[in-house]
Amino acid sequence: MPFREKSAWVTLIAILLVSALFVLHAPRLSHPGPGDFHTLLACIAAFVVIEGVAFLVLRLRYPEDARTPADEREQLINLKATRLASGCYVIGSFLAVLTLHHGASAVMIGYFVVLAFVIAEILKYGARIVYYRRGV
Amino acid sequence: MRATIISNRIRQLRFENGEMTQQQLGQRIGVTRQTLNAIELGKYSPSLEAAFRIAEVFGVPLEQVFQYKSAQGPS
Repeated sequence: MPFREKSAWVTLIAILLVSALFVLHAPRLSHPGPGDFHTLLACIAAFVVIEGVAFLVLRLRYPEDARTPADEREQLINLKATRLASGCYVIGSFLAVLTLHHGASAVMIGYFVVLAFVIAEILKYGARIVYYRRGV
Repeated sequence: MRATIISNRIRQLRFENGEMTQQQLGQRIGVTRQTLNAIELGKYSPSLEAAFRIAEVFGVPLEQVFQYKSAQGPS
């Protein structure tokens, strides 16, 4: 498995793990309060820690691969995955703003934008893995 | 994803050039072993520059490494 596919798996798992932690608090988001913002910050911090530790382990285990710059195929995979994710993020953000017309508060819209970002990131790293496995 | 209609003889050329490994060839042309494997299997069409570099390593013209099969056949 290529080093960058391993990295994509690490990030994808970290995002899913942290998202699951956050979703455990989702019922409260119908009436968001200051505590939810702190939960969001804690989840972001947890993501940074999980990803940082996992990448450190990967770099120590595969130092040669970690130093090698991305080649043309890997760059193409990144570009295609990012294109998919950016489209998803734009649509998600637009839909989030539309919820304003259904009585959503500014805080709720903020959470919807974060949700769109998380889905876009999941799509990006998922697409990378698919492109690495199926070809690009 | 469908395989490309560009076939290649890289595996055979590696064999004919002292059983060169994918890792060795990849290092010489600046791609990873996994990318070279994808090229050999037809899962990825390399850039023109990478294709010329591969041909240069084996000391053969480009068309001896890569062959293009037109879907419509020769006119």
